[in-house]
Amino acid sequence: MKTLGLLILCLTLAGCGAATPTPPSGQTDQPAGEFFESEDYFVVVAKSGDTTQTLAAKHLGDANKDWMIEEYNETATLMPGQAVAIPKRPWNLSGVTLTGYQLVPILVYHDLAPQAKGRMVMGVKGFEEQMRYLKANGYRVITLKEYVEFVSLKRQLPKKSVLITFDDGYRSFVRYAYPVLKELGFSATLFIYTDYVAAGGNAFTWPELKKLSDEGFAIQAHSKSHGDMVRANAEGAAEYDKRLESELVQPKALFQKNLGYAPDIIAYPYGRQDDAVVRRTKERGYVAAFTVRRQGSQSFVDPHRIHRIQIYPEMRMDDFVKSLSTFSQETIK
Amino acid sequence: MKKRRQTQFFLLWAGMALFAGCSARSGDSVPANFESLLAPHRARAAALAEHGNLRGASEAWKVALTIDPRDAVALAESRKVDEQIKQSVGDRLSRGRDALKRNVHLEARNHFLAVLAMDPGNREAFEALQSQVREVRQVNHTVRAGDSLVSIAQLYYGDRTRSEVIWETNQLPPNPKLTPGMVLKIPEIPGLPFGRPEPAPIVKTPPSGSGPSTAKTEPAEEGLYANPALGAAREALERGEFVLALSTVDRFILQNPRNGEATDLRRIVLLQQGRTLMEQNKLLDAYSAANQLVKTNPKDPAATALLSQARGRLVQQHYNQGMQLFREEKLPAAVAEWRTVLQYDPAHDGAKRNIDQAQRLLKGLEERQQKQGK
Repeated sequence: MKTLGLLILCLTLAGCGAATPTPPSGQTDQPAGEFFESEDYFVVVAKSGDTTQTLAAKHLGDANKDWMIEEYNETATLMPGQAVAIPKRPWNLSGVTLTGYQLVPILVYHDLAPQAKGRMVMGVKGFEEQMRYLKANGYRVITLKEYVEFVSLKRQLPKKSVLITFDDGYRSFVRYAYPVLKELGFSATLFIYTDYVAAGGNAFTWPELKKLSDEGFAIQAHSKSHGDMVRANAEGAAEYDKRLESELVQPKALFQKNLGYAPDIIAYPYGRQDDAVVRRTKERGYVAAFTVRRQGSQSFVDPHRIHRIQIYPEMRMDDFVKSLSTFSQETIK
Repeated sequence: MKKRRQTQFFLLWAGMALFAGCSARSGDSVPANFESLLAPHRARAAALAEHGNLRGASEAWKVALTIDPRDAVALAESRKVDEQIKQSVGDRLSRGRDALKRNVHLEARNHFLAVLAMDPGNREAFEALQSQVREVRQVNHTVRAGDSLVSIAQLYYGDRTRSEVIWETNQLPPNPKLTPGMVLKIPEIPGLPFGRPEPAPIVKTPPSGSGPSTAKTEPAEEGLYANPALGAAREALERGEFVLALSTVDRFILQNPRNGEATDLRRIVLLQQGRTLMEQNKLLDAYSAANQLVKTNPKDPAATALLSQARGRLVQQHYNQGMQLFREEKLPAAVAEWRTVLQYDPAHDGAKRNIDQAQRLLKGLEERQQKQGK
């Protein structure tokens, strides 16, 4: 509103004759006629040496918002003299267009080791190769917070967004995943089940988790015992009720005590849930919950049944790549 | 709401300014490149609106207005497209709600998605999709001898690892034994081609609904961007932005149908686009560009050469694809490929022969299965 008022004032003062839009204050290095601003956009005439990153840093205050310029203008490279539109606000929160909608692949890893073992222990080389593939191919690794905002219609994500998660709480993460993630500037989310914490061997301790949390890794719940949260056939109603309650509530207290916050996001053990589990999960204050299913998730996914894609050690690179689909093509009319 | 009020206020103000006679742009005070900055954004907005992409058009007009807030045409068009969005959104929301009441979930889904395509931040449509619409798109697959979850996943999704989704959807036991005749539900997986891949959709129709047609533009703009539009098209062509160049020049031709310079430019754009697409191995797109050219001028030698080149490569590609599928024993898919060959080259003997052979084989298989079934 302020900008608009300023603009109107400028134009009014300038009188009727001069129609050249007036650059606002603070943009003195751009000559008149090469910088324009409205409520929703900047338009800048690119100079030689300008990149989407420099423009994003200068006008949006963050070089990492270069994707906004690239995606709006449908180009990653700027030509000097080109009028570049810089959106000041999200223009597609849900990621839906006439040709389909955005998907975010959410990857799940478990344990890592120098050599792959069975279905659940990823070899460090394979992992590194996958991470480098993401980097080299323009994927943007987003944070859990950003993802949850996306499924709440509060944040537009880059078109090629990916979320990386690790389940259970293996300290092998620090040795084998952490260095690669750090080098590439990737963020990750750890879903841990509290019975396993400090269990010795490959289990994380609370101080280790606290350190990662302080560094910006998201640590969230994966139940208390890693038991299947769906009611078993032989299980009595009262017995089940008590068990489900402790799986959902006990992690809250332990997180609060050791990490300083209560988790509000959970990954169901084995990805297993039914309507009763989902209902109770919501009632216990979890705003988002993750299952396991080999498909990406759209913004309008049920936030308590968000799909995650399990990555197995034996997966070939082309299988991995097929898991990374970020758009569901569909003619919407 | 607040934003809309601001916009309304802004439009009102701008309207008054125009009315007061401020609209005349003084030539001296306008930088030389001003028009050339504006033209691509105006052209983009108009092209998007013509293709029914109301949201894209609305944003593009806002960009044009950022450069020149007093552009009368942009103001009018921007207002028009925003009004269209408002009306269509209201209409599709109520049709979506109605479909939900009737429990027709796929129809409701369609309406709510259409709302989001026009208004991506629409909370009502978003929440309806999130919590009320159940996705139900799936087909049944009858298990044949030799089928495994992996081979079925490969057949429908082109990705063997998605066998897990079929396993989960059908609540199968670990390491399930599939028996011929068993029926499995195969759900659509977003982001993957489902069944036989279809060519990418070309969006041309505006969203259906009671809203006014979006495809028409005002003829009153004639002369306003006559030369700048052609200049902008040429620049776009030089940068290799063929789509933009074409939409710009098409728009010009719409208003000046007999301008020889423009029709020439259009031919050059299509030709270069077609050649580039051939180089990139985008055969179908190259074919359609060449086809457009030949339609306008059947005697154009460059165009006919490009067309026959694209056609030849497409024929080869589909024919080989058919052979590959045939070897993998995917007979119906192979037949489909060869039928495509015949669409491009109705006299293709190899394709005809292969289709006959595959159909004989398929018939034999079916008969055998029926006997087994009895």
